[in-house]
Amino acid sequence: MPNKKSLHIESSGQLCIYCGACVGICPLNCIYLDETRITFDEKVCTRCEVCVKACPVGAIEIG
Amino acid sequence: MQDRKTDVLVIGAGPAGSMTAKWAAKGGADVLLIEKRQEIGSPVRCGEGMSKDWLPEVGITPGRWINLEVEGARIFSPSEKVFEINEKHAGNEVGYVVERDGFDKQLAIDAANEGVEVKLKCAALGLLKDHGRVVGAKVKEFGETYEVHAPVTVGADGFESQVGRWAGIPTNIAMRDMDTCLQYRMANVDCDVRYCDFYLGKVAPGGYVWVFPKAEGLANVGIGVQVSQVKSPADARTHLDRWIDHHPGYAKGKKIDMVGGGVSISPPLKQTVADGILLVGDAARMIDPLTGGGIANGCIAGKICGQVAAEAVQAGDPSKEFFQKYEKGWRARLEEKLYRNWLAKEKLVSLSDETFDKVIDALAGVQLQKLSVHNILKAVRDKYPEVTKEFEAFL
Repeated sequence: MPNKKSLHIESSGQLCIYCGACVGICPLNCIYLDETRITFDEKVCTRCEVCVKACPVGAIEIG
Repeated sequence: MQDRKTDVLVIGAGPAGSMTAKWAAKGGADVLLIEKRQEIGSPVRCGEGMSKDWLPEVGITPGRWINLEVEGARIFSPSEKVFEINEKHAGNEVGYVVERDGFDKQLAIDAANEGVEVKLKCAALGLLKDHGRVVGAKVKEFGETYEVHAPVTVGADGFESQVGRWAGIPTNIAMRDMDTCLQYRMANVDCDVRYCDFYLGKVAPGGYVWVFPKAEGLANVGIGVQVSQVKSPADARTHLDRWIDHHPGYAKGKKIDMVGGGVSISPPLKQTVADGILLVGDAARMIDPLTGGGIANGCIAGKICGQVAAEAVQAGDPSKEFFQKYEKGWRARLEEKLYRNWLAKEKLVSLSDETFDKVIDALAGVQLQKLSVHNILKAVRDKYPEVTKEFEAFL
């Protein structure tokens, strides 16, 4: 997917607090929260960046 | 593991799920309540404030999950003029401050005592469908995957609900209809155990900062910021930290816990049922869009949901037509207020700090007999007639 921006979630425990805010607002339902692991479906994600705004601690980066 | 059958499958053991399960079991149904985590109620993702007048209606007895009882709420304007409201009029987050994990566990115990089977570490992976009708879910319990066949499935899986989406019920929310929230439990703070405090204005764009006391010197200090008003990543945290820095009674405090989450502040959903499936609580966007409180509404709707689920099993008719009884029931009880508070929220998020100051100042100066839109506007009109204009369209 060369035309898509890279997607990076800082989920090594340094920023992400596993609250699920991004999961709830993702319009394409492509973010998954499993206890202390968050994953994205990169193929479905359109990089709309709604999750970036919804994250209370700034743990999601797209760019 | 072998597939299994039940009458009612409830996905999610928060307050709405446990309440639904309990009332379905009371109605004679065989109920399975599944929770993806290993511990019900944990981790707590909640400010832990709630009103109390609704508890008898749904059959909840006050217990050890209550930290303390507050007298009322204090609303602080941007220049920190204060308006006090008695807890009876203060909305659905004011009354008790609770241990949410203890509260959730009590409701699960109540459900279990009615004969509900509870499964922990059991996540729904997807819904089972037959000709478009939901007939249960595929679940994973302790690493083992199996199918639960049920004529009635209930999605009580919270803000980040998957069940509604899987069922094809539109539950998406816009950025303006969500607050992104962060909260610290803080020790060694100067909180007042008589009040739940709310700070309005630019300190929390499109939301508010809250201080809910847990005990002398201990409080939940949190913030909600409307996602559409977020300017840069981590705005919720930035605003909360700034607020704490500017309040010496809290800046000296020590953070001992941190939680985050999303809160919907949307108008009510148009649809909360489909063939074989009902949604309840935060999953059905039943959170009060003005206060952000979801417990009372989730429990009230949960009781109705459980009763209708049991009736549908009894009647052998888990169709969306039959479920209209739930759809109409919860709307009759909650929808008008949800809609009214959504309109009020839409107005409030547009107010300037200057207007907030005037409104709170006007209210602080009078003793309102009863908290109503009419009385509030009258108080504002008497002191700041020019401000009333801002609300004409709203009325």
